[in-house]
Amino acid sequence: MDETVAEYIRRTVLKIPRDEIKMMLQKWGFLSEAQLETINFHQIKDNISQDVVQLCEENSADIKQAAVLDIIYNNIYPNKRIWSVYQMNKTGEETEFFDLTDFKKKFKRLLRSALKNVTITFKEYEDNAIWIRIAWGTPYTKPNQYKTSYVVYHSQTSYVFISASVLKSNLPLLCQALVVASNYQDIREMELRSHSLNSLKDIVFKRYSQNFQTYSPRPLTEKNVAPETVDLRIIQENRNEKERIQRLNREVFGDGPQPKIEFAQYKLETMFKSDPKMDVLDKKEPFRCLVKFSSPHLLESLKSLAPAGMADAPLSPLLTCIPQKARNYFKIREKKGVLPGSFVSP
Amino acid sequence: LPPQHNADPQKTAFLLRKQWTLYSVTPLYGFSNADLKHYARLLSAFTAAEKQKGLAVEVGVELDIKVTVSNVPDLKGSDRDQDAILVQLSLRSSASQKNSEDKLVWLGCFCCVFGDHLSENLPEDFTCLPLFLANGAEGYTSIVGSWFQKTFDCCFRRLAISPLNLSWMAAMWTGCQVDKTTSAMELVFSAPCLPYPLDISYAIHPEDAKALWDTVQKTPGEITQEEVDIFMDCLYSHFHRHFKIHLSATRLMKVSTAIASAHCDGIIKFLQSKYLAGVLMLLTELAISQIQ
Repeated sequence: MDETVAEYIRRTVLKIPRDEIKMMLQKWGFLSEAQLETINFHQIKDNISQDVVQLCEENSADIKQAAVLDIIYNNIYPNKRIWSVYQMNKTGEETEFFDLTDFKKKFKRLLRSALKNVTITFKEYEDNAIWIRIAWGTPYTKPNQYKTSYVVYHSQTSYVFISASVLKSNLPLLCQALVVASNYQDIREMELRSHSLNSLKDIVFKRYSQNFQTYSPRPLTEKNVAPETVDLRIIQENRNEKERIQRLNREVFGDGPQPKIEFAQYKLETMFKSDPKMDVLDKKEPFRCLVKFSSPHLLESLKSLAPAGMADAPLSPLLTCIPQKARNYFKIREKKGVLPGSFVSP
Repeated sequence: LPPQHNADPQKTAFLLRKQWTLYSVTPLYGFSNADLKHYARLLSAFTAAEKQKGLAVEVGVELDIKVTVSNVPDLKGSDRDQDAILVQLSLRSSASQKNSEDKLVWLGCFCCVFGDHLSENLPEDFTCLPLFLANGAEGYTSIVGSWFQKTFDCCFRRLAISPLNLSWMAAMWTGCQVDKTTSAMELVFSAPCLPYPLDISYAIHPEDAKALWDTVQKTPGEITQEEVDIFMDCLYSHFHRHFKIHLSATRLMKVSTAIASAHCDGIIKFLQSKYLAGVLMLLTELAISQIQ
């Protein structure tokens, strides 16, 4: 077994939390159950990974098998990477039958014709997701297994999720390969990025609970709530206001959990407006700003602002439109005569 | 901002583009400018002793720490200010020869810029250098700080910068004339007490921020609290117009401009030598307020 392959497998196993190693190796299926039985999964990870490499040596593992293990790891821990969303377009209504073999063949052929040295690995999952792992080399150097890009393509849709990581220069080539292999005409990057791959899927596939405008003449009653011990000495101030805020929040955000994104960015090119009495800036040019919001769970955080008294309810559509518009990067310009809207600029 | 004391910018260039942690220091008792070499030897011995105790920063390799204490006469506001004192810690690996370069690992600077009013009523035995800046590992700061506290009966405290003071810095620094306007005027806010904490970075094009400030400031060379409030309110209301969020209900943590950047935990970065004295004067003032 090649030394570089051995080292790569060793490092991949080291990334996996100890309690998950056995499960992942089983999913991988390269080592037999009998072989797995010989490994003590309670020893330190360093030793576990050495044992795994030893067994892989016995089975003469090559880079192809090692690459599959890497895909399995990234499929279970996608949030370690940052994902961008791309959408492919074609004219014509016909939904062609998707031929996986043909897709793989065309994809490999296009990449290999441009770059002799690439490692391309595919793995299909039950949810119709095709995972593609690409290790990039150059015309003169072997592929660097540590400089990898990942693609997740749901063949029933026109969306592709790409985690390009280091070699951004290979991105156009990657996009071209995807378009050609899937029989589309072009591909564009959406202004939507996050660590949470599942949330990105929720957003573009509309799998989150959307905020349908519901008119409830009476407040919705909760089920299964333990009766509160009412202390008559405590009066809830502004109860009506609090309920109004909750209702408006529900209307704009919906009832279900929000898709998980970590940031949103707004490039503002709107006019500065102020109270004329204040005698301040009155320029005819835009007041240029760049606003970035970040949080471990941005949408839930924004949802909590109005109840916390830090924002008005309803919150601005610039923020609440993120899931529907499937974007978290915006350029905002002034709409003539109206409050600022989101004028999308390429 | 006040005119620069006739300083040689080369002598103070070491302050630029480094991250400094700020402390306020009470007056030093029995400190003398004539004994700097002596202090360096004492501090060196103290540092070595701390290392033996296991409180050192570096482990493993046998390292020789060289201590230099010097004064920086160019670093002051008026002639009534004390000379600034610079403490440098360098590493000399024992394997190296006499001529090889020492590696500078820690810098500490005591200074006073237009802060002479603190020393007005103090006896002569006291030296007023209320502002201390440290760059380098926290472990070294702790050792040097301990030695000064023991030797000169003074007290170091981390200098916190309140949102109010950060707003002043934002307004003041936005108004400064900068040759090439490359850096945005950035304010960083935090709302930590939510179920999921939120950070907001609000960066304004420096020309637009300056244009706004120029219409707010009525008297050149003078800034009032009211003007700072109006400036901030303008920025807050522009933000609110778009996002419906009240920035005034969040906590202002950091201000960055082309002149300097300041963080509420008492961390500063100086970016322009032209305005160095002005920023130091402000920080000296803050240090003095914290002491009193």
